[in-house]
Amino acid sequence: MKLSAALATAFSVSALYAGFFSPDGTDEPKIKCVYSGTDGSCVEPILKAENELVITVTGQGVAPSVTSSPAQAYALAKRAAMADGYRQIAERVKGVQVEGQDTIKNMMLQQSSTKTSVEAIVRGANLLNTTFKEGLCEVEMEIALSYSRVLH
Amino acid sequence: MRSRNGNCPFILPSLALICTLSYGTDNYYIGYRFTAQNVQAINETLTISKAMQPCPTRAASVLELKYNGYEPLEALLNRERDRFVEFAAVQELRIKNNDTVTLNAIKSQETFTLPTRCYAVEFNRDFVTITLLQ
Repeated sequence: MKLSAALATAFSVSALYAGFFSPDGTDEPKIKCVYSGTDGSCVEPILKAENELVITVTGQGVAPSVTSSPAQAYALAKRAAMADGYRQIAERVKGVQVEGQDTIKNMMLQQSSTKTSVEAIVRGANLLNTTFKEGLCEVEMEIALSYSRVLH
Repeated sequence: MRSRNGNCPFILPSLALICTLSYGTDNYYIGYRFTAQNVQAINETLTISKAMQPCPTRAASVLELKYNGYEPLEALLNRERDRFVEFAAVQELRIKNNDTVTLNAIKSQETFTLPTRCYAVEFNRDFVTITLLQ
């Protein structure tokens, strides 16, 4: 009798340690991060069914060197910053395709190129804030991801 | 004795209202493309075409712009392009980015496109209502 009780206790402790049972009574193991950094901190949060995931980015844009007016320069810089912001959102939500090519001749690097590309459709991103200083426009943008938006 | 339209006294006013609304609102297909190279704007295109076939009738979202009473839609959207782009970009936007990094140069090109969609444009005396139809 004592042996079986000891075995049961040992089994439940090992199962708890392995994550089969959580201490708060829920069966689902708690996953907080997609990737963990070397120090164990969260790098990218994961989208869960019960809560929204808000991603905030800052896009930067520069006005063209030749414009007809300062207003046009501002508008074009803002649009370039928006494009940069949307690109960052697409990179973080969908991911980046990376292609690298190195050419080595006689044991020496002759040519090296890295190409990255992103292509995505973005819906529901909001512009939060715009600043324009010394020809550089910065826009702060955010997108809220939830299961209902992703599935529609 | 009853009048000729005594059974349906609201037919004529209703028809007049429908005709007025249908003449006041036009459907347009509007698309937009913006290209930036090394985070600098290099190209921008706004295309507007009057719809030749019926558009969907479900209104998705509405934008209201100031109107001076005489300018065409092209001029209005060129003047208020910033607001229109922000309004339409929230609905749907396609982004395409290509970066190339070599030993001595970095080149980045971004294109964002607002897909060509049907909009109902209603011209009023001092404002214009642009409604995205889906």
